[in-house]
Amino acid sequence: MNLLPDVRVHRPATLDEAVRLKAASEGARFLAGGTDLLVNLRRGLGEPAALIDLTGVADMGSIRRNGESLWIGAGVTLADLARHPDVMAAYPALVEAALAVAGPTHRAAATLGGNLCQDTRCVFYNQSQWWREANSFCLKKEGDKCQVVAKSDRCYATYHGDIAPVLMVLDAEALLVGPDGARRVKVCDLYRETGASHLTLAAGEVLAVIVLPPLPGWRAAYRKVRIRDAIDFPLAGVAAAMQRDGDVIAGFRMAITGTNSAPLAVDAAEVIGRRWDADAAAVVAQHLRKKSSVLRTTIVGPAYRRRVIQAMARKLVDDLWGEA
Amino acid sequence: MSIHDLKRRGIGSVGVRTPLIDGVEKVTGKAKYTADLAAPGALCGRILRSPLPHARVLSIDTSAAEALEGVVAVCTGADCKTPFGVLPISENEFPLAREKVRYRGDPVAAVAAIDEATAAAAIKLIRVEYEPLPAYFEVKKAMAPGAEPIHAEKPNNILREVHNEFGDAEAGFAAADLVREKTFQFAEVNHVHIEPNATLAEYDPERGHLTLHTTTQVPYYVQLNVAKCLEMEESHIRVIKPFVGGGFGARTECLHFEIIAAMLARKAAGTVRMLQTREETFLAHRGRPETEITVKLGMTRDGKLTACHLKATQRGGAYASYGIITILYTGALLHGIYDLPAIKHDGWRVYTNTPPCGAQRGHGTVDPRAAFEALMNEMAEELGLDAFAVRRINLLREIPHITAYAQRVMSYGLPECLDAVMAASGWAERRGKLPKGRGLGLACSHFVSGTTTPKHWTGEPHATVNLRVDFDAGITVLTGAADIGQGSNTMAAQMVAEVLGVDWHRLRVISADSALTPKDNGSYSSRVTFMVGNAAVAAAQDLKRILVEAAAKKLDAPLDAIECEGEFFRVAGQDPGLPFSDVVKAALIDTGPITVKGTFTSPQEFMGDKKVRGSAIGATMGFCYAAQVVECSVDEITGKVTAEKVWVAVDVGRAINPLAVEGQIQGAVWMGMGQAMSEETRFDQGRMLHANILDYRVPTMAESPDIKVFIVESIDPNGPYGAKEASEGMLAGFLPAVMDAVHEAIGIRPDALPLTPDRIAEWLDAKDRRRS
Repeated sequence: MNLLPDVRVHRPATLDEAVRLKAASEGARFLAGGTDLLVNLRRGLGEPAALIDLTGVADMGSIRRNGESLWIGAGVTLADLARHPDVMAAYPALVEAALAVAGPTHRAAATLGGNLCQDTRCVFYNQSQWWREANSFCLKKEGDKCQVVAKSDRCYATYHGDIAPVLMVLDAEALLVGPDGARRVKVCDLYRETGASHLTLAAGEVLAVIVLPPLPGWRAAYRKVRIRDAIDFPLAGVAAAMQRDGDVIAGFRMAITGTNSAPLAVDAAEVIGRRWDADAAAVVAQHLRKKSSVLRTTIVGPAYRRRVIQAMARKLVDDLWGEA
Repeated sequence: MSIHDLKRRGIGSVGVRTPLIDGVEKVTGKAKYTADLAAPGALCGRILRSPLPHARVLSIDTSAAEALEGVVAVCTGADCKTPFGVLPISENEFPLAREKVRYRGDPVAAVAAIDEATAAAAIKLIRVEYEPLPAYFEVKKAMAPGAEPIHAEKPNNILREVHNEFGDAEAGFAAADLVREKTFQFAEVNHVHIEPNATLAEYDPERGHLTLHTTTQVPYYVQLNVAKCLEMEESHIRVIKPFVGGGFGARTECLHFEIIAAMLARKAAGTVRMLQTREETFLAHRGRPETEITVKLGMTRDGKLTACHLKATQRGGAYASYGIITILYTGALLHGIYDLPAIKHDGWRVYTNTPPCGAQRGHGTVDPRAAFEALMNEMAEELGLDAFAVRRINLLREIPHITAYAQRVMSYGLPECLDAVMAASGWAERRGKLPKGRGLGLACSHFVSGTTTPKHWTGEPHATVNLRVDFDAGITVLTGAADIGQGSNTMAAQMVAEVLGVDWHRLRVISADSALTPKDNGSYSSRVTFMVGNAAVAAAQDLKRILVEAAAKKLDAPLDAIECEGEFFRVAGQDPGLPFSDVVKAALIDTGPITVKGTFTSPQEFMGDKKVRGSAIGATMGFCYAAQVVECSVDEITGKVTAEKVWVAVDVGRAINPLAVEGQIQGAVWMGMGQAMSEETRFDQGRMLHANILDYRVPTMAESPDIKVFIVESIDPNGPYGAKEASEGMLAGFLPAVMDAVHEAIGIRPDALPLTPDRIAEWLDAKDRRRS
């Protein structure tokens, strides 16, 4: 067993207290299920001054209707998310994505907020301290050189969360709470495309709630490619949502994960108002190609991941069109 | 079987599904594994490992680490000048590097400190100066002229070259109607035993004695190697194997961490707990090497094999380990499964700057067998023959059979295995008629039931079992055999229960403790049921003789009039007789508690033939045979192959415990599936990229198909109650069977494993390009 660094753990009962603790302790990290953070800490990927355990915060673990919207606490576990009747009824794609994460034991502990805020990953980063040191570290941590793109000035570690792309195509928002109050942002705005600091949350902010709008007439789905049907992160993942009006596409959104340093929306508004056919598919494929930037950050080589995301995206939209 | 035998077919009897004797402890969490053992005050051991794949060690400065408060001992290569290794002819590994490091992760220094944090801090304070040397991660580069020798005594970096020919291969190919040659690439795989490596080493400075609890399959090899490296008397070292979470060959030799723990404990004059991370467990490796196989087969029009020429090149890693045996096995196990008139074999075992390979379940045969069977299937198709028909026409003709390699086949259930899986899989009706993207494939495989030529200690019995009986009438089975989850404790108890006819609960087993149990070579090459089983039977027969004598005396009857049924001894036909406990008391009255002994030694004719070079390796008393059909599906969008169902029939001689045999068979098929579908080690310039079970992709429950097992019992004349090997022979068959199933599904013949989606996608794209 790798040694977990000595660390003070706080367990606040309220969100305000959590935010206050964060402000008071520089270098503190929020902890929820720990399925990402604790694994990394055992590998020497960070030595936080303190951990602020959010699992005792009342309300963070609840799911409730708020007018037309569904508010999901960031502390809801993926297991609970996937079996909640309101989520199952209105957002089956979210259930699909939640159940695609890791394995049952992970999902019993892992939370929605933790999944969204998970660290980026790279074969040169998710290694032991000894391994990284022998390799002169890397740009993401302790080093001055990216091992993936030698002459790069930014880190290319990849975002591999399964849930963010689905929330993006569902047009979800995130409620962030910080020392200066709360703010709401689109889920896509939680991220920026740089592997070493891919989250846009301010230092003292905590992701508190995900707000899902009603989506009448939309269908959404998520597909993930991995070698094993459990445990594995997506080698590439794609989510899409479509609103079909007779023979034309009335609404369309697509987002990808496992390819870039952030989950990214693929802009394909051009297909709106058209039929889904080979030409429309070519337009989406082109945008997808432009948006995705797969590098050798996983053991499986980039060529396959580039190929499969295209094939999978096509199949996914074919299915949505057929079902809609 | 007599009527008496039939009446008492209870739990523990031979042939009865018997839950493992130590199963409850495991599933309730009560079982103590090495890391669980309480050792208050134990120091924490840690190892400093080389960051370079190949370098001269110029200097090591441990002074700052030694000065750190809480550090009790620091060891380096200077503390042990004796190399170790499992084969006496190739001991070339030092517990801590001397002069050179040969793979990234090679141990260089070690510390024992009062806690983990102090040990970690001390490791960081050790300064090592290296002079980097050219490093080789591919066999071709390591073998190239002018390459830097990894070991001075092997200037071409070839640990062992093998060239053998039996029969006339050229004549065989000339007589064939179809000759095909094909090259296959097999990725390196690891055992991924679920319990990481660990040793608890306690040194008693007063007596100069050492006690090791360790995660091993071979406690007595650990004792031998630790004694050698520490220059201690073997009798001053006690090795105990607690519960062990799997081995699969990874632990069939003493490993560096065990010796290092012992060195630290002695230097610290105390107790050292050496727990290895998953990464370190991967670094100790000993898995199946990356292997290139070129196989050439000759076949007549009706599918009869005329000759085989197989070339194997293995990337062996930095040290010898089992390498010489592994490369010899790639040839030895071409024999004994089919009637094959000519076999030519060339092998190269190459040193590289990667973690040392060793023995892994199906040792030496898996990759050659996979290549052989895959080509056999391909040629069958070319000739328009059914895969089963091609197997049947090549079956051994007569049993007993002596192979060209001097192995004796005394029992051979492969024909029945073929019949069983053909019927169960619906082969005749379904093969060739499945929808696109789905396929069926067949392959056969086999494995030895223990190797009859021990690596050490020639002249000693292959196995010894003691039975101890006291006045309480309990029977304690004492065996040195290491139960690593495979169920050898249960097997030994069943043998005794069967012979004595006693209640299963009267037995307890104490195993693998060098202070208590008779020496045993260990759990490898599927030797334990055959050899230890026979020894247990012999011991039980001796005890039975003593008890019958006591009963006869007490009942005042001649020996041959005594009959025992259940736990009663009586004069035939007379009731009620004497209960077992009374007979024991009677037997012990004059002597006190008794310990009997049973041994097993392989007869000389099973130990190879001096005239056949290399035949000491692969010599065995019996082969396990398996046939399996795999059904798979292939998703052409993702390139993903899914094993849908497996039908596997195995000739195990006799299933002593059908429950355990079934589990072993499913486990081995499953392990073959891992190698075929997703497992592979990956290095980038010698940097291990896969050192965790996220990136090293052992299948999960989600990938596990239904594995339908058919047990075939050929009753081997020499196996205990007819039993043979039952946990390795079926592994290899999965690989070529799924390769053939993939061919039926998508028209591609894989020539590289594992069948990961990226490989399948690449082949699909290449096929599309060829078409367009």
